[in-house]
Amino acid sequence: MAIDKITFRRILKWGFINFFRNGVVSVATVLVISLSIFMIGGVIVGSSFVSAVISSLEEKIDISAVFQDTADEQAILFLKAELEKLPEVSSVKYTSAEEALAIFRERHKDDPVVLESLKILEENPLFSSLEIKAKNPSQYESISKFLESGRYDNILGVDANGQKKITYRQNQFIIDKLSFILSTSRKIGFSVSLILALIALMVAYSTVRLAIYNSKDEISVMQLVGASRAFIRGPFLVEGVMHGVIATVFTSAALYPAFWLIGRKTSALFGEFNIFEYFISNIFQIFFILLFSGVLLGTLSAYIAIKRYLKV
Amino acid sequence: MIYFDKVSKIYSPTSIALEDVSFNIAPNEFVSIVGQSGAGKSTLLKLLLAEDRPTSGKVFFESNDVHAIPKHELPALRRRIGAVFQDYRLLPHKTAYENIAFALEAAGKEEEDIKSDVPQVLELVGLVDKAWHFPHELSGGEKQRVAIARAIVSRPDVVIADEPTGNLDPLNTWDIIHLLEKINDLGTTVMLATHDKEIINSLKRRVVTLEKGRVVRDEQRGRYVL
Repeated sequence: MAIDKITFRRILKWGFINFFRNGVVSVATVLVISLSIFMIGGVIVGSSFVSAVISSLEEKIDISAVFQDTADEQAILFLKAELEKLPEVSSVKYTSAEEALAIFRERHKDDPVVLESLKILEENPLFSSLEIKAKNPSQYESISKFLESGRYDNILGVDANGQKKITYRQNQFIIDKLSFILSTSRKIGFSVSLILALIALMVAYSTVRLAIYNSKDEISVMQLVGASRAFIRGPFLVEGVMHGVIATVFTSAALYPAFWLIGRKTSALFGEFNIFEYFISNIFQIFFILLFSGVLLGTLSAYIAIKRYLKV
Repeated sequence: MIYFDKVSKIYSPTSIALEDVSFNIAPNEFVSIVGQSGAGKSTLLKLLLAEDRPTSGKVFFESNDVHAIPKHELPALRRRIGAVFQDYRLLPHKTAYENIAFALEAAGKEEEDIKSDVPQVLELVGLVDKAWHFPHELSGGEKQRVAIARAIVSRPDVVIADEPTGNLDPLNTWDIIHLLEKINDLGTTVMLATHDKEIINSLKRRVVTLEKGRVVRDEQRGRYVL
């Protein structure tokens, strides 16, 4: 049913007045919605933070193939191109023996002993290599198999035990383990967030429903006086919006010190990552997510709850 | 104007509220529905307000079958019927003025009309000085006068009053009854459900007597006989 301007103004007016006249009930509802979206906010920030940490860990995994000093650069570049064609591979980086030496020198520029020994050697002791990153940590196995297939034996370096110098084999255990931990923590993180968000929703809904249950006699009186459904429902929805908005402001103010504290306590654990900085740099997005969930929670709960009492 | 046509309301075989009730109410009549508690008075009024459906039979308001009206058009019907109840049924979080104004707001009346009409009815029921009091700050008699003001402010065709004096002392009772008479004199049909013998006998208006859900007597200038 269409609502004309004057009815809309009255709905706004009564929503506003009812919010203040309901006093304690309004405060309680705002607090519960705050608690719910505090949980939602915490879960969102927490899980995207953990996922950022996981991604950066995944970034750190790679395998490298080291070549014989006699290997032809053309052959290596051909292999690089072949690798890049594989669907599992996200990037391949070629480092020539000279570049490897330059990097080695740079890294040890403050260490005269190392530099001195390089001079004595005269020849470049380092080899050319390819550094390969997979799109997903679980794909290193197949990339490694591709390298070991035999086609590239003529250029791949071999260590003292006759093993090909592919770091995956050397690090296989740790890579597999890490990739398992990462994928499991993503799954667990996601399910925990989902469950927490669900609990938050249910708690908020029951509170709003209880508040509206209190008004069920009022609602039936309004119907007897000839008020339309929209006119009865409207002010409750306006109240719901107000609950959501106030709860958002309240929650944002509470999340700030909470993440500051958590950030300080966990900075040692995550190293370069700080959850507080993550929160600050995404604060507008987080605010709007909270606002959206708060207002949705307030109005949708009210809408569903009031539907039960509009049956007469 | 209002016509009950062979109306029955049966909750269960052992609980029959109304059985084959038929009568007609003309415009501007003042009809009292009398009967003991449980005789079916309230059910009758509920059916007229479409708060409940009859098991069989029809209730007409003018030419409209009340129970054939679609749900979204019920508010329009209810605005033409002012209702007053024993338990007042005021909106507890609204002042006397706001309670009365609510009926007009719900009907989408202009703000200026509300500002002129509400004080008028407050004047009529004698509560101008209590306009900004909340229901819990008013006495029973005052609450019922607010309820009557709310029922008549939108100038309905009918006012139905279900035991309006049930919770009031004799003095307030007479205030309320005189108010209803005044409303009727001003041209509104009144249906009064009561079991108060004194009221009926002094009104000297039409009386429909219900007994165990049946109409047992229907007399102009009736008396309370049970």
